[in-house]
Amino acid sequence: MADLLPPLGTAQTDGKTKVDEKVDYSNLPCPVPYEELHREAIMSLKADNFEGLRFDFSKGLNQKFSLSHSVMMGPTEVPSQSPDTTIKIPTAHYEFGANYFDPKLMLIGRLMTDGRLNARVKADLTDRLVLKANGQLTNEPHMSHAMFNFDYMGSDYRAQLQLGNSALIGATYIQSVTPRLSLGGEVFWAGVPRKSGIGYAARYDTDKMVATAQVASTGTIAMNYVQKISDKVSLATDFAYNYLSRDVVASVGYDYILRQSRVRGKIDSNGVASALLEERLSMGLNFLLSAELDHKKKDYKFGFGLTVG
Amino acid sequence: MDSTLSLKPRGKGKGSKGAPSSNDKSKYQLLKEWSNWSLKKAKVATHYGFIPLIIIVGMNSDPNPHLFQLLSPV
Repeated sequence: MADLLPPLGTAQTDGKTKVDEKVDYSNLPCPVPYEELHREAIMSLKADNFEGLRFDFSKGLNQKFSLSHSVMMGPTEVPSQSPDTTIKIPTAHYEFGANYFDPKLMLIGRLMTDGRLNARVKADLTDRLVLKANGQLTNEPHMSHAMFNFDYMGSDYRAQLQLGNSALIGATYIQSVTPRLSLGGEVFWAGVPRKSGIGYAARYDTDKMVATAQVASTGTIAMNYVQKISDKVSLATDFAYNYLSRDVVASVGYDYILRQSRVRGKIDSNGVASALLEERLSMGLNFLLSAELDHKKKDYKFGFGLTVG
Repeated sequence: MDSTLSLKPRGKGKGSKGAPSSNDKSKYQLLKEWSNWSLKKAKVATHYGFIPLIIIVGMNSDPNPHLFQLLSPV
């Protein structure tokens, strides 16, 4: 009886402190990076569905260093003239990858059989400034891209400068305004199609839900809302409207994280229903099943895969 | 008189533009050419050397893995 009383007492004081907590505006948490503003919604709604066979084998040599081998066989889409028909060309490729993960330096490289290199570097220059570089290099001339980002993390804000090839410059800034609300903006200037743009974003999150909204001068307005029903289930919904091209898409999705598997699915206002199942067959062996049904275009994609290691 | 005086320097300007020689390239154009050349070489170097760089950095991190572990499929 005596040991029942102290826990009850502490629970009451915890409840009281939560309600009476005054917002300490000089001690706000650091906000989420600007490009990850809608990361919870992306996890449910933009799962990477694939078509065909996918086999990934990853071998760790070290705690920091690992090699990966991937085989992908399946049809890949080729952009076609008319929007109704999709042209698919069956391809098969092998991709070799090497990863190095350090607390201060991360190097990821993926090389395909056709000579395309996908490189990512993340280096902590100081404990506040991070350099990220991302590049896709090909053998064909003028088809390579590279982007360099410098991120500065302040106490309750983040600022980022982006430099890309073909004269692309961008900057983003996001600031925590209250412990739950953060507001941000971005500016970019692209040299090749002489365009510049400005955008604003807002994110409101609590323990149970996350709501974000983004407006950009390229015409996109995007809003999404994610509700975490429990530790295992979360639901998400997304609305994207482009006021220049008058495109509207709304989607609803779910994400079930169970003990041995993870199922994610969504349905779209374009008539696309998709789902992705990742099942853990045993330690280090994952089985993937992906399905995407596009009823409007009558394009049905199914894929299966295995991930080892 | 004024018109002939003003025509002469213009004619000189036209002559030098009509036949560009390497001496007449401005510093800005030299800088652009040099940066294009260096970017092309950097792109080739990254394309060939990025994966070997990761492998070298990884093989030298501790505990040092063996070459056998790198090459074997298990």
